[in-house]
Amino acid sequence: MTHTDLSAVRQPIGMAHGLPNAHYVDPAVFEEERAALLTSGWSGLAVAADVPEPGDAVPLTFLGMPLLLIRDRAGEVRVFHNICRHRGMILVDAPRKIEGAIRCPYHSWCYSTEGRLVSTPHVGGPGKNTAEGIDRDLLGLIEVHSHIWLGVVWINLSGTAPPFHEANADLLARWSEFDKPLFHGGPDSRFQLTVNCNWKLAVENYCESYHLPWVHPGLNSYSRLEDHYHIEEPGRFSGQGTRVYRQLTGDDGKTFPDFADLDPKWDTAAEYITAYPNVLLGVHRDHAFAIILVPHGPGQTVEHVHLFYARPDTDPALRAKNTAQWKTVFKEDIFVVEGMQRGRHTPGFDGGRFSPAMDGPTHLFHDWVAEHMARHRARYKAAE
Amino acid sequence: MNDLDARLLAAHAAHDLPALVALNREAADAADTEAARGFYLTHAHVFALEMGHPDTQVLRAALIAMGRETPL
Repeated sequence: MTHTDLSAVRQPIGMAHGLPNAHYVDPAVFEEERAALLTSGWSGLAVAADVPEPGDAVPLTFLGMPLLLIRDRAGEVRVFHNICRHRGMILVDAPRKIEGAIRCPYHSWCYSTEGRLVSTPHVGGPGKNTAEGIDRDLLGLIEVHSHIWLGVVWINLSGTAPPFHEANADLLARWSEFDKPLFHGGPDSRFQLTVNCNWKLAVENYCESYHLPWVHPGLNSYSRLEDHYHIEEPGRFSGQGTRVYRQLTGDDGKTFPDFADLDPKWDTAAEYITAYPNVLLGVHRDHAFAIILVPHGPGQTVEHVHLFYARPDTDPALRAKNTAQWKTVFKEDIFVVEGMQRGRHTPGFDGGRFSPAMDGPTHLFHDWVAEHMARHRARYKAAE
Repeated sequence: MNDLDARLLAAHAAHDLPALVALNREAADAADTEAARGFYLTHAHVFALEMGHPDTQVLRAALIAMGRETPL
């Protein structure tokens, strides 16, 4: 395979170019990035609120892989490959409550919600449920490493990443004040946007504040460009913050309750960070949100948006207003990410140049992509 | 087709797990060979496992006693 040349991407921002077109439109590069960027580290999959009660199970497809998100009998959220160890049959094909065991619909092998294989009917012949060589202890569901943080279920599909709290230590430290129970706002606090762009363009747009006055004039009316600052942690995460966050108020003048024990800086600050590769996070004194980007091939991404609050009993009308406000903002971004995607079909486009003053967080993401692609290619070459 | 077969088919069609447990137990009790009893008890146990039936362990114990299952 001929690799894309990423040397220009890794230059200092004043000289660097963005990622080549192939990283947005080429199925072969998409597959390469799948291994290099999306399965090797910790990616966002879903939210823990998708499975609020023990036994709740939700089948999901991530990068073409059938997965099963489940809250086990003891209350722990787990992620499994959603297939039977017998014939690879899909186990759960629609969200439902597992009352007892997960029974494969094909030959009825049964698994506990912890993934343990508990029954193999007729495996030794009719009415004989054991067989030599069928060691149930070795045939449990294949579990994917998972971790819950900020209400998001993060997964490491390769199983080779350092523990989540090590891999994201700097981000966890930066936002340690928000590492407390977050309450998903429920059905009125989740929505999806299907956008015709590569998943990375959603990240790139999210990282920078440069576009705010042009694309989000409503936001800019109170949070001006000069009120924002860059968040830049090379090789780790990037984003932007504002110093003039203003709380949403309801018709009765009420606001959402604050998260407890926040530093006074959060009275007016808010921060928006991409946890590489695919989770766009926002924190404010009174709510947080997560946008989980699920790539559907090189040219389409589904943005799964979730809003969280400090208490479970927030005002529904105010929640709906907040959801609507963010939905307006995120929809305003669609034409730019889709426009950039169409632009990536221009032969000879050199990846573009960055504003040294304004595009730092986006360049850091490109640099992270290039670095991880290089690592992946080196591993691949060594294995040949 | 006897009446029990018909009721089993109806329970399968309705995915009526409590009925599937009960009817397979009934079939096991009526079975005239150990092999047939093991077959029906296996089905009763599987559907009991699936629904978290209170008699799941009783059914498993019966299969274990017949040498057809192992303890969890």
